[in-house]
Amino acid sequence: MHDHRTICERILRLAGRCPAEVIITSTDSALTRFADNVISQNVADTATGISVRLIDNGRVTRFTLNQPSETALKTGFLRALETLKTQKRDPRLMPLSKPVPVKENKKLFFPGTAELSPAERAAPVGALIKKCEKTGATACGTYENGATAITVANTYGVRAFHKESYAMYSVTVRNGNGSGWAESPASDAREIDFDRVDRTAMEKALLSRNPRSVKPGHYTVILEPAAAADLILFMGIYGFGAQFYQEGQSFVTGKLGKKVMSEKITIEDNALDGLSAGMPFDYEGMPRRKVTLIENGVARALVHDRKTAALAGIKTTGHALPSPNTFGPIPTNLTLTKGGSSIEEMIKNTEKGILVTNFHYTNLLKPLTVEMTGMTRNGTFMIENGRVAYPIKNLRFTESAVEAFNKVEAVGDKPQAYISWGRVSAPALKIRDFNFSSSTEF
Amino acid sequence: MFTFANKAIEIADKHKADFGDIRIIEARRQTLSVKQGEIGALNDTVTLGFGVRILFDGAWGFASSDVMTSGEIERVTKLALNIAKASATLKNKKVRLAHEPPYRDFWQTPFITDPFAVAIEKKLDLLFAVDKVLRKDAKIKSAISSMDFIREHQWHMTTEGSRIEQVLLSSGAGYVCHAVDKGEAQTRSYPSTHGGQTLSMGYELIESLDLPGNAERVRGEAVALLTAPACPRGRKDLIIYGNQLALQIHESVGHACELDRVLGYEESYAGSSFATTEKLGNFRYASPIVNLVADATLPGGLATAGYDDDAVKAQRWHIVKEGILSGYMTNREFAGRINKDRSWGSCRADGYNNIPITRICNLSLMPGAVSEEDIINDTKDGVIMENNRSWSIDQRRLNFQFGCEIGWLVKNGKKTKMIKNPTYQGITSEFWNSCDAIADENSWRLWGVANCGKGQPSQTAMMCHGNSPSRFRKVKIGVTA
Repeated sequence: MHDHRTICERILRLAGRCPAEVIITSTDSALTRFADNVISQNVADTATGISVRLIDNGRVTRFTLNQPSETALKTGFLRALETLKTQKRDPRLMPLSKPVPVKENKKLFFPGTAELSPAERAAPVGALIKKCEKTGATACGTYENGATAITVANTYGVRAFHKESYAMYSVTVRNGNGSGWAESPASDAREIDFDRVDRTAMEKALLSRNPRSVKPGHYTVILEPAAAADLILFMGIYGFGAQFYQEGQSFVTGKLGKKVMSEKITIEDNALDGLSAGMPFDYEGMPRRKVTLIENGVARALVHDRKTAALAGIKTTGHALPSPNTFGPIPTNLTLTKGGSSIEEMIKNTEKGILVTNFHYTNLLKPLTVEMTGMTRNGTFMIENGRVAYPIKNLRFTESAVEAFNKVEAVGDKPQAYISWGRVSAPALKIRDFNFSSSTEF
Repeated sequence: MFTFANKAIEIADKHKADFGDIRIIEARRQTLSVKQGEIGALNDTVTLGFGVRILFDGAWGFASSDVMTSGEIERVTKLALNIAKASATLKNKKVRLAHEPPYRDFWQTPFITDPFAVAIEKKLDLLFAVDKVLRKDAKIKSAISSMDFIREHQWHMTTEGSRIEQVLLSSGAGYVCHAVDKGEAQTRSYPSTHGGQTLSMGYELIESLDLPGNAERVRGEAVALLTAPACPRGRKDLIIYGNQLALQIHESVGHACELDRVLGYEESYAGSSFATTEKLGNFRYASPIVNLVADATLPGGLATAGYDDDAVKAQRWHIVKEGILSGYMTNREFAGRINKDRSWGSCRADGYNNIPITRICNLSLMPGAVSEEDIINDTKDGVIMENNRSWSIDQRRLNFQFGCEIGWLVKNGKKTKMIKNPTYQGITSEFWNSCDAIADENSWRLWGVANCGKGQPSQTAMMCHGNSPSRFRKVKIGVTA
């Protein structure tokens, strides 16, 4: 990885009197992909991104490159300064941020995880394939690892640095017409319980063979953590970003301080610790704060960048994306607080309902109710009289996530973490009257 | 660059790799946007790097880097070789590539005006002018107009002797506005959703779109949708326009006919496909009037190039011919699985740092024999839907649901009331078999998809789907929570 500090100082020197912000990312990544019980793709990449924002007297531009050579940087500056000259002045443009202390998070980097070799990735994959071959099943999935370092610096003295490693083992098993899935992300690959992931995916695949058709309609559902996390992501992105709120496009617009969902629900954005922890600052170099978005069903707060915070008359919560952008601030470290029910208890207390392992291809229909659609995937089961009765063919849901979160009957006791647009962690949820609008053929 | 690239080829040859290639790519991307009277994006990105693919002992390895030194090429090529050796420990048979002769060629996207030579000031002036019109109604709470230009200069060299240099260019522009009032939010965009219209052209595309000339209408429609009646529920004849029909083709035919997916190699992520290989040549995918043609030679197509990233020359072929499944999107690795001795050439990578994978080519619905007006005149009880708003399909590409920005009722041959939140659902082959009218070439148009995601690590690719408005009988519409 390149020396971020040296590159930053060189760029800020080249900027001269023009206020400048530098974002540098360095990534070493590798991924072993397997399908049909063989390794199908196996890749590694070393990449650097250097992005420079210049703000000069109400004018803004950005240039990005991956070559830190003097020539490349000078060409970038020449083009950017030319762009600034031809621009009309915008008196509302915010200046670059002034430094605010950021507490480093050193708990997320493990050198051994960053440097896993192709053979080390192949080992657990090989073990899974052996197990699958013995039972006539087919293994598919990925085992990936790497490390990312990021620096945000600017002319006014902002200097923020973060480094983290990651590993993710994701397994899909096909067994006849059954399908199962499990996944485990970790900052430290040693924390991944490969056997547990394999066992879960294989058992689900076995149990979901020969699924029966059921009529679409309203059912009580038990969403396993991955499915619950999917709904929370959409609610988080489209509900709690302050720009959407200020534009009137959020379901909490005008409802801060009011009850908007079940009192069983508490949602936080927390980059500082817990299962969704990550980069402790945003792309303006401002420290991320822990924000309670929903507290016992009551809408409490939003996430802000400096621009939306200024409009609201408050301080930023440290959730800026690289500026300028059209999306505004978004929560990237969402956590649904755990409850007290195990999935087994939820099933035991359900007379008739559907157990959902995961959702597939979810998408937003209406922002003001977070109405969504998507398919169930990799193990969908009918629950009858307190037990998993039989596997069923996949169903499409068309449902408002906000309404669904008003019908929560139980919250699980074991949250799990996932990596999607940022990080999200959630336990299982039991929800009544969940709308499935159609079915498919498998 | 080929001299630089040759180092990787030498190392691959020295280690007796079955196959090896290196792609060096220099890319420039300029992104501009205006939101609510302010600059939303103004970024000029330049990247340079290389990716090396090695097939050793019948298994793949790939590595890439942005450090442009001879020593780094050596390190990365040896890493790709080591990765291939690790892959070879878990294989059941050796990968064999379909034959393709070596090429030494230069190819570039034809264009009239280099978009990077057009002044930023001129581009911003156009976007600010559109923005001003869009924001004239107080109910418009968010208006975003944007442009995006990409030039990718590729040098591709293989151990088989190919030396292919290509310069690919794309331009795109569009805008979207969001109207909000009294607990209702509606969206309208032009010329299409998801970033506007993108094609393999120069700045002449932007000038042809008449962006300011449509802004008032688009703003008016966004505001009118706030009080429009909801899409009715039930089964009606559905006439799909432009960008929405492009996405329908993309999701329910394009992805379904990627051969890697059909064979189960995408199972863990985006899924597999119902269009399995025993159906090739005999499965009635659609009604007999439906012809869907893949074409890497199509002028303006985002997947148009001289060669794909397997070094296979561009081709044109049927995916669906007179309603029958007739072909797949292929790479050289999997073409043999359907007894083809040559790939159709639809293997592409996102930049230098991704391994080439099977991709949707430009895939278009061929024009029919009736006019657009005749289709409406001939519809007694139907709905027109335009511009995609939401999309979702199951992992075998069967059950889909789409939402559009706007719809209109059709009663007794007349386009009547505007309706909001139009949605429809279906099962792929049932839906395509209900297609009974396709408008003629007078209303046929190419639509760009500039953000197609696939693969792990995730890759983005671009392609086009030409079509003309088409009618589908008795489709389930008006699906809501």
